[in-house]
Amino acid sequence: MFTTGSKLFLGGTVLSLAATLIYGATEGGGPLGTLGLVSVTIVFAFLTGINFWVRDSNVSSMDTAGIESSAAAHAAPGRSMWPLIGGAGAALLPVGLIVGFAITWVALIVLMIATVEWMVQAWSEGASSDPVYNLGIRRRILHPMELPVLGAVGLGLIIFSFSRIMLHVPAAAGAIIFGCIAAGVVLFGSLIATKRTVARSLVVALCTVGGVGVVGAGVASAVAGGRHIAKHEIPSYAEGTCGAETSGESDDKSSRAIAAKSNLAATIILENGKLRADVAGVVGNPEVVTVPRSANSFIRFKNLDHGKFRLVVNLGKEVVDPKAATLTYREVKECTQAVEEGGDQFIILKPVTPSPRDPSAPDQFSFSVPGVDSAVLGIVVP
Amino acid sequence: MPVPSNAGSHRRSRARRLALPGAAIAALTLLSSCAKDAPQDTFQPKGDNARNIDNLQRTPFYIAGGVFVIVFFVVMFCVFKFRDRGQKIPKQTHGKPALEIALTILPALILIGVGIPTVKTLFMLAKTSDTQCVINVTGQQWWWEYDYPVQAGCGGITEPIVTSGEFVFPAKMNVLLKITSRDVIHSFWIPALNGKRDAVPGRVQTLRMEADQPGIYAGQCTEFCGLSHAYMRMDAVALDAASFETWKTNQLAAYESPADGTPAKTGESTFLTQCSRCHQVNGLVNADGDPVISRPDQYVYSGAAPNLTNLMTRFDFAGASFDLITDDCRDKLWSAKPADFSALYLKGVTPECFDPVNLREWLRNAPGKKPMYADPTKLGPTDGKTRGMPNLNLTEDQIDQIISYLTERK
Repeated sequence: MFTTGSKLFLGGTVLSLAATLIYGATEGGGPLGTLGLVSVTIVFAFLTGINFWVRDSNVSSMDTAGIESSAAAHAAPGRSMWPLIGGAGAALLPVGLIVGFAITWVALIVLMIATVEWMVQAWSEGASSDPVYNLGIRRRILHPMELPVLGAVGLGLIIFSFSRIMLHVPAAAGAIIFGCIAAGVVLFGSLIATKRTVARSLVVALCTVGGVGVVGAGVASAVAGGRHIAKHEIPSYAEGTCGAETSGESDDKSSRAIAAKSNLAATIILENGKLRADVAGVVGNPEVVTVPRSANSFIRFKNLDHGKFRLVVNLGKEVVDPKAATLTYREVKECTQAVEEGGDQFIILKPVTPSPRDPSAPDQFSFSVPGVDSAVLGIVVP
Repeated sequence: MPVPSNAGSHRRSRARRLALPGAAIAALTLLSSCAKDAPQDTFQPKGDNARNIDNLQRTPFYIAGGVFVIVFFVVMFCVFKFRDRGQKIPKQTHGKPALEIALTILPALILIGVGIPTVKTLFMLAKTSDTQCVINVTGQQWWWEYDYPVQAGCGGITEPIVTSGEFVFPAKMNVLLKITSRDVIHSFWIPALNGKRDAVPGRVQTLRMEADQPGIYAGQCTEFCGLSHAYMRMDAVALDAASFETWKTNQLAAYESPADGTPAKTGESTFLTQCSRCHQVNGLVNADGDPVISRPDQYVYSGAAPNLTNLMTRFDFAGASFDLITDDCRDKLWSAKPADFSALYLKGVTPECFDPVNLREWLRNAPGKKPMYADPTKLGPTDGKTRGMPNLNLTEDQIDQIISYLTERK
């Protein structure tokens, strides 16, 4: 009465039902666990019903055509490497749970791939009595997934290897080496394109050797480590004003947003010891720059003077702790890093308080350049 | 399959049944274009920029309309003339190179014909070098803020002016709007004066604005921006040059505290405790005589709330959605002749015209009047900050006091 498949799923149903009851009794019926186990029970029960109903796809003895074409009438599926790979994935899973989440992800991906591949292989090998046809339908289903993924993985491996080699060899040598390699690839491709009689096996062999060579060199470079990249040592001209330089990158932080370069509110130029502003849409150089409140304004500082200078944006003072019994204030400042002659740097301003309306009030908002007393330009925040 | 003898009469009676509703829908569609109170009309440009767009669209629109009519009638003719009556299928043909080439070249020529003036107009609309006045426009849920930076343009502005809802500019002057957003993407559109421009956080986009003559021109945010998108309106107000100067002077006038002992004076105190943490009133000082600086960035997601320094110089509030004046006064303002408009606008909200109903309802429960994300129990995603104005649970007395105070903000 019960077929092999239905017995398997019936066992699963009983087991999951028992697990649900035990979980419910011991854990007080947590919603997530109960829901999951009840779902598993329902799925197993459904599969039991299906297998029981179709009797594991067994064909009726009266159906002669079915006997010839049914899966059960064919040879058992052949050998497969996928259970082995799936086992490796399953073994990797607990390792990942202990060592790191990245390995868990790899294990899950391996398990998923092995399951899908094994399922499709097993199904396709029993699809008909013609092995060629079976292989064809397997390819028809899996190649649209396998080929792009394998292509992307292969390409990624080559690119990653390239990057490791580039980081290992000296900067100047890198350009020469890869210029030569690129030229070689173009030459090789051109020869193959023009000389159609080249043996396919020769092309495959050359490509394989090239690919393995690149990956091998990449692995060796990765093991050897990257070359030493010296950070720019920028001495702080105005140390103490906005603090010491903390970054070796000239446009760290302030230039993260591409918008900073494409939506300038103003360009502040230091030239001949004075600051002037160039504001989009405003004719001439305004004496003060109006910066909107609570909205990002992208400012470019351009240094046309000799030496390294930074732009300091003074935005008044703010209360340190509004809930404190005695209010204390701190200066609100934004600074660029020291910029060499001819260089520029971006800074994003977002003042949240208006500037003083009284021009004689202290704490006026302004742009200034430490070390150049005459370089001051007013800021107005409405 | 034999056709029943009365099938033809059935079809005719069905056609008759459909004819009446069809004709009614067509008539209604046609009549809707005759609406008088429809200020957002791109087909009635009131400035050079809108006129350039209108000139560009009219010819292709007429041609496209003509093509539509021809194609429609030819298709209808074919449908009825050659409908299936059991006749034999005619000989099927495929491929006619001459026709195919002609049908490729003809649309290409039409596209070129449309493309050249389009590109020319695009460059014209993107021009900024002839700017005479710059106004910053910042969108946030669900209102527009306008600030006039210090500049030599606009006839000279020595201190920034901040307003909302209505942006005022001199007629016959090339104004450049610099548009951005503080929270989500909005879109700025005054149909009578120019096309649309998206207000994108982190980007500043420019839009030219010019009006032939004084008047008020309606607009609407045209990028869905959340719950009250439909209530995010704007009015562009063009004044003659002299009136614009007066308007500027008025906007920058020193703050006048209400007279002692008046309801407005009590209202000032109420405003200080209830409203000033978000709404700026320039010149307002606290009991110690220190300037009161609003900090909407601490309470509102966008970091801004409308500046109320000169509330009663504009005629609506809350994203230009609710009037501060009676319907009669509104009609007079909106239908004023260009020669009379500037003087009428400069009067602001007069006591005769002031209608406190909307303002009172707003102060009583703002989210009830205009949907906003301001429920204090649901502000987790915005770190406790509201999108829009919350219900402040003001008493009726407090509402009266605040209204008394605000009516003096001119």
